[in-house]
Amino acid sequence: MTTAHRKPFIAGIAVLVLAALPTFIHDTFFLRVLTESIMWIGLAIAWDVLAGYTGYLNFGHGAFFGAGAYITAFLIKFAGVPFLLAMPAGGLAAALLALVSGIPTLRLKGAYFAIATWAMARALQQLALVLDITGGPDGMRLPPYLHPQFFYYVMLILVAGTFALMWYLLEHAPFGLKVKAIREDEAGAMSLGIHPTVIKMQAYLLSTVPAGLIGGVYAYWITYIDPASVLGDLVTDQAVVMAVFGGLGTLIGPIIGAIIIYFFKTLFWAYLSDYQVLYLIILGILIAMSVVFLPNGLYGTLTGRTSGKTAIEKGLAIEAKAKSKEVAHG
Amino acid sequence: MELLPQAIVDGILIGGIYITIAIGFSLAYGVMHIIDFAVGEWIMLGAFTGYYLNLWSHIDPMLLLPVVFIVFGVVGYLIQPLIHRVISGKKGNPVLMGLVFTFGLALVFRGSGLTVFGFYSHSIPAALARNSFFIESGNFFLTIPHIRFTGLFYAILITVILQYILKSTDFGRAVRALAQHRESAGLMGIDARRISSYVYGIYVGISAMTGVLIGCIFSITAQMGGEYTVMAFFVVVLAGMGYLAGVPWAAFLLGLVQSFFMIYFNPSYTLLAVFVILFTILLISPRGLFGKGV
Amino acid sequence: MKKAFLLVIALCLALGMTAGSHAEEARDYFKIGVITSLSGSLATGGNVTKRGYDLWADEVNKAGGIDIKGKKYPVKLFYGDAQSEPSQGASAAERLATQEKVDVVLGPYSSGVTLAVAPVLEKYKIPMITGSAESPLIWREKFRYTFGTIPPVNYTGSTPIQTLAKLNPAPKSAIILGSNDAFSKATAEAFQDAATKAGIKVMKFNIVPSGQDLIPFLSSAKAMQPDLIAFGGHDEELINLVKGLRQINFTPKALLMHYGVTEPAFFESLKKDAEQVLGAAVWTESVHTKGELLWPNAKAYADAAMKAYGVPADYTQAGSSAAGIAFQVALMKAGATPPLSEAARESIIKILEDLKVETFYGTIDFANEGQFYHANIGLTPLTIQVQDGKIAVVGPETEAQAKIQYPMKPWQERK
Repeated sequence: MTTAHRKPFIAGIAVLVLAALPTFIHDTFFLRVLTESIMWIGLAIAWDVLAGYTGYLNFGHGAFFGAGAYITAFLIKFAGVPFLLAMPAGGLAAALLALVSGIPTLRLKGAYFAIATWAMARALQQLALVLDITGGPDGMRLPPYLHPQFFYYVMLILVAGTFALMWYLLEHAPFGLKVKAIREDEAGAMSLGIHPTVIKMQAYLLSTVPAGLIGGVYAYWITYIDPASVLGDLVTDQAVVMAVFGGLGTLIGPIIGAIIIYFFKTLFWAYLSDYQVLYLIILGILIAMSVVFLPNGLYGTLTGRTSGKTAIEKGLAIEAKAKSKEVAHG
Repeated sequence: MELLPQAIVDGILIGGIYITIAIGFSLAYGVMHIIDFAVGEWIMLGAFTGYYLNLWSHIDPMLLLPVVFIVFGVVGYLIQPLIHRVISGKKGNPVLMGLVFTFGLALVFRGSGLTVFGFYSHSIPAALARNSFFIESGNFFLTIPHIRFTGLFYAILITVILQYILKSTDFGRAVRALAQHRESAGLMGIDARRISSYVYGIYVGISAMTGVLIGCIFSITAQMGGEYTVMAFFVVVLAGMGYLAGVPWAAFLLGLVQSFFMIYFNPSYTLLAVFVILFTILLISPRGLFGKGV
Repeated sequence: MKKAFLLVIALCLALGMTAGSHAEEARDYFKIGVITSLSGSLATGGNVTKRGYDLWADEVNKAGGIDIKGKKYPVKLFYGDAQSEPSQGASAAERLATQEKVDVVLGPYSSGVTLAVAPVLEKYKIPMITGSAESPLIWREKFRYTFGTIPPVNYTGSTPIQTLAKLNPAPKSAIILGSNDAFSKATAEAFQDAATKAGIKVMKFNIVPSGQDLIPFLSSAKAMQPDLIAFGGHDEELINLVKGLRQINFTPKALLMHYGVTEPAFFESLKKDAEQVLGAAVWTESVHTKGELLWPNAKAYADAAMKAYGVPADYTQAGSSAAGIAFQVALMKAGATPPLSEAARESIIKILEDLKVETFYGTIDFANEGQFYHANIGLTPLTIQVQDGKIAVVGPETEAQAKIQYPMKPWQERK
């Protein structure tokens, strides 16, 4: 087996094992925990596609999750659309939002892109809060369909499929190279015949559509959504922390980050809930220390991949400017 | 239309508060290229310090401002080398390192705040929060709360002082040199570490003072930090990152939008308007209002 | 790499295997699940409910436990922190239902979390009584297994307005606002509804973004000189509103809020400025109630609460303890022993629906139909007012213990 094929093989085995789990684990709480961790894996790698690979920090990531959740909820509740059709529609909504918002915002650099997307997300949250059709602050309740195995499989298939697609596109197909070229040197990439606008939009879609689909699953799974829970900053914040902690610019990094942070959080919450405030402190220390000792994320440091560093340099568009100033002043 | 003057005044006063939140943050970013995610928590810590000092000493919080500035200035000065060590070095990139590290710091502060201060809200009683200037003339009247006026005055004072320091003192020149040419500044005999420490100390001191002011105008809780970090971030980006002179304009703009929306339109849409306007301005003028952002 | 993967998978399997193995042995104590927000934005309120639930459990256990046909069964509380997130509430519900296999559940602080928790408990057929969650939303959904000891705000919100309308001279005009969250919005709407019915002209009604600086709004309110300003909001928002009114130096004749005026933080932050603010409540420590179980009256409860926590009890805490009492009475009536079978839990539901019991908190009587389905309509909503740093009941007439102070003393005259 060649090296290039080893990783997908391992991933395939992992997915098969995960798929087989429900047959001999009947604990519904455990399934729920696994479903949620798979959800976060999906959200973290989705964010990394744009941040780590392309160098654009999308602080509005959660808005796509929320858009998918709301559209799916509408269709199920008001149009009686079955979930398996409503959820893809949620992804479509995220795609439309990406197209509409991406064209103007992807022209922005660094921190400006981050804030613009953040402002967009907050605007969307406000919109959900003031409109009547979204239920405003009351949110929306969906007819409950409480089957842990069903949602486990849906989430698993969705995230595994997303991972496979991203793996292929980013690590195997020319797309990945183009995207990384943009991250390293956007201006230079153009001279190579790469159209940054098109590629960036494709990466943006690749990043946001899975988030929208996952949001759609979330809505039907939890049966209740409101602007605070699906359009707030929490989704973005957690995905960012998981991806950065795990290692940007790789697909495995965010997976590891998501698993570790999620399980840490869950164990703390389940068994140490008297000390919730300690969780914040410990997480904060973990994050701060990881910067000192693991600047390329856990996975990045373990494997020596430094793509994370360049990703953020680009994402915050600072070094380039500083460098050019230096050059100008000789 | 008799409310127009009041709407304008209210907007400017709100803008004043935004300035106090954002100005230190803009300075820190401009000089050290640190996006300090803990700015809201510094504000929170300053607010609680002011609260407890006032509780124990019964001294008016406005008089405690210099005390808070010095205490937190020192704290900032001492912490900076730690941050410096974190953000410099071969591995990683300064801005990212700073951002993630301070995010972690923010969580630690927030958790510690919750542990020490609990979940309850507090307010800092201030003599100036008890009344307002009232101007009346026929059909038109204007109410200007003393404490908010003080806030505006404080905001402008800080901005002017900072600008003066940066433009006309040796220290300021050193700071600007450092901001523009980190490596070559050292060659000119500028002690980058020392200067950075001072700047960070000033930033933390200002943010803490702002916390006290906020405690007088509004109320404080251990979890208040998050929203203030967001506000600081938005104002500074709108102003143009690192462009100190842009901060008042961005702040006033946002304040006026909020005020006008609340008075003349459906108040429910206030924040929606703010974010849409912010988003639109960024699209039109990608490096801040004046295009002077870094 | 391979090793890392295998390790993670092995870990999952190990956790899964061991975690699921809770056999259902006979127990001599009741397992009571508590789902509330111990962290996150709702932590303040969540902790109030926790105190209420803890206080009940401690008191019951002091007497040896719940008396079922002569034998006493102590209660053990099992907590699930919803972290102010509906999804985590649902997860906690799943864990308490399937892993801990609790007998009954004491419920969350907010309606959002309750709406996500209730369907899970419906599925596992576990009765839940919540000591809070006052939004009408929950009761409209008609969850069979969910009950609440505090009636929703559309049941209680009209009382203070009615008290005001009975004054002579009564307020003629009002400006009503509410923060844009489920509870506050419902509160403002209830105020508006009651004001219109009482003939008070509502000059302005607006829902405002949560936690925002309201000075521009208050400026325009001041220009209209309303007799009454009524506000639905939470915690800090209430304090900020009063501070805002003080800053622009406008004292309406009456200022009405809801929950939150009873919080110690309200008095402590506002001091003299809190005086004469009106609120709505369903319980205060001075109401004349007689409890059949545990605490004989409101004062006894208030003293016990103060002794245990050093913080005065408010009606949410009282309602939470009352939720425990409701379960206690139902379990006694059902003669059910732990662990509760599905049939036993089913009978608890019927008993709760038919229940009518007097407690330190008031009468607990859950409605069986209509918009207040499974909410407690046995209580009399009260109009309260801050007087001399204490909460006084000023309405309705049958319950009033003090005279309402109207109009409010202007800020500048308060020393």
